[in-house]
Amino acid sequence: MILFTHYWVLLLLPVALLPLLLERTHSRRYAWLALLPKDPLSDLIGLLLKILAVLALLFILLGMAGPHTAAQQVERIGQGAQIILTIDRSASMDEPFSGAMTGRGHAGESKSAAARRIITEFVRQRKNDMFGVVTFSNSAMYVMPLTQSHEAILAAIDAAGGPGLFQTNIGSGLTTALGMFAKTPDSGSRVIVLLSDGAGNLSALTQQKVRDWAERMRVTLYWIVLRQPGGISIFDEHLKLADDQPTPPEIKLHEYFKTFRTEYHAYEADDPQSLAMAIEDINRKEKKPIRYYEQIPGHDYAPHCFAIAAGMIGVLMGIRLLEVRTWH
Amino acid sequence: MHPPERAKEFSYRIGWRARGRYPGRHASAQRGLGMEFRGHAPLIAYPDPRRIDLRQTLRDPFDQVWVRIYNQKSSVPVYVVCDLSGSMGFGGKRSKLEVAAQITASAAWSAFRVNDPFGFIGFDDAVREDWMFRSSVKVHGAFDLAERLAVYRPAPVGAGGLRHVHQFLLREKSLVLLVSDFHLPLADLEHNLGSLMRHRVVPLVLWDSAEYRNLPEFGVASVTDCETGARRTLFLRKHFRQRILQAFEERRAMLERLFLRFDMPPLFIEDAFDADALTEYFYQFVAA
Repeated sequence: MILFTHYWVLLLLPVALLPLLLERTHSRRYAWLALLPKDPLSDLIGLLLKILAVLALLFILLGMAGPHTAAQQVERIGQGAQIILTIDRSASMDEPFSGAMTGRGHAGESKSAAARRIITEFVRQRKNDMFGVVTFSNSAMYVMPLTQSHEAILAAIDAAGGPGLFQTNIGSGLTTALGMFAKTPDSGSRVIVLLSDGAGNLSALTQQKVRDWAERMRVTLYWIVLRQPGGISIFDEHLKLADDQPTPPEIKLHEYFKTFRTEYHAYEADDPQSLAMAIEDINRKEKKPIRYYEQIPGHDYAPHCFAIAAGMIGVLMGIRLLEVRTWH
Repeated sequence: MHPPERAKEFSYRIGWRARGRYPGRHASAQRGLGMEFRGHAPLIAYPDPRRIDLRQTLRDPFDQVWVRIYNQKSSVPVYVVCDLSGSMGFGGKRSKLEVAAQITASAAWSAFRVNDPFGFIGFDDAVREDWMFRSSVKVHGAFDLAERLAVYRPAPVGAGGLRHVHQFLLREKSLVLLVSDFHLPLADLEHNLGSLMRHRVVPLVLWDSAEYRNLPEFGVASVTDCETGARRTLFLRKHFRQRILQAFEERRAMLERLFLRFDMPPLFIEDAFDADALTEYFYQFVAA
């Protein structure tokens, strides 16, 4: 099915018939044509000249109209998660892992460096996914919207290093991350990977908002807690708190996330290995096949039309070279 | 009086006895001051005492006085009847009408030299009153007309007016030089020539070598018919040129056959008018 970019140009198509109506101006006079014997080859050339002229005009006009086939949508099945990496950039991320003391992992590698390294690896593995990056400390930084350009994402992750502030505003990071989904159509698998080494308090309003949005957008949340040395574990069921002390924010956040109606998984990482395992687990879980439609652009036939017209004009020029210039 | 530049004198003669009253150079049936003895008549019947034949009078037993009678020489009207149709505008080095102008001026001059009245009638699809020169011995106007003719560019029209030309000729038997390329259907020509049978017609066939012999060697050309305006594309090449040449030779033969049936041997004139060739023609085809 051929479509045209400019349909109005087709209205000019009758112009292509002009060579049939108009005679060539540089015609020579001859006394009496009836006396000349019939010559089929001459008649053929005469006809050919007109047809060539008509076709040349026709194809120029068609080319101007911009013929193309319609864009096709091809259904593809693949791993096409939309993953937003929400990375904590608070100052504490520059400290080493809590597990560094236990003798595993690189003693000198900071949490943010290890996180960047492992996430970079993760991004590289998942070629079909769309990634977005949000960093946050005291407020969220909109780093990179959902994109398929891995180069940009890797650069964005690389830029997430550097010193930050002493605050962890998880609420702002999450709302910004969720907001990114709003602008992109749902691929069927939406994931937020929240990477932080602590937790902050979320106001009731923010809690409500994040839960609603996560539900509406059907986002799976993965929370990777990079434990601080001597910090409490969110999985410690036997944790006894002194009565006069408030519940630690990590526990509160974990409890809050559990109230989500969408999927939620929490991981704790003491060292780069456990972080890598957590990421590996996410990698495995987010392998749901998704259907998506790929737009295959229509084929543009205008250059072909112009090429044909150029060919016709070339032949006409060739015949022009054969034209008689002297008749005496 | 000097001849105009275009005029080249030729001499012509006629094969019949002229009946013109005006003196000229042609054998005539008119009695008068001539050298051609015709017979005797009684003085009573032909009262011209200068011509009393004494010998005949004395020999006559009845004492009649006899007078010698001579035929005078008379003039004969000469006409150029010229085709002004579109094809006459064609020409390689010079247009056919330029050659026709030469013929007109030459004929006017040659007629003037022998005291014959000269007239010109132009026709295309009709007889052109604006291209007409009434038969007269005062031929200056004819030279002007020839000048006009040389630069005339004819409209794209045919040559059907030939059938009315006879109405504009004198009743007297005249010498008619019919100048045309005769590029018209033979049936029409045959029909129209019949109307001119009263006169002595000399068909002068003007062809141009660019029409058939000097065609371009090779190439494509778009050509327009001078008369109908029809277009054709010609792919000239050796084979096609030979066929064109052949077609013209056949046409020449057909024209000759047609004219000879009317007892009007044609003279083919190509590219330029040669007065001697016309003189030769009269010596060849007109008995003295």
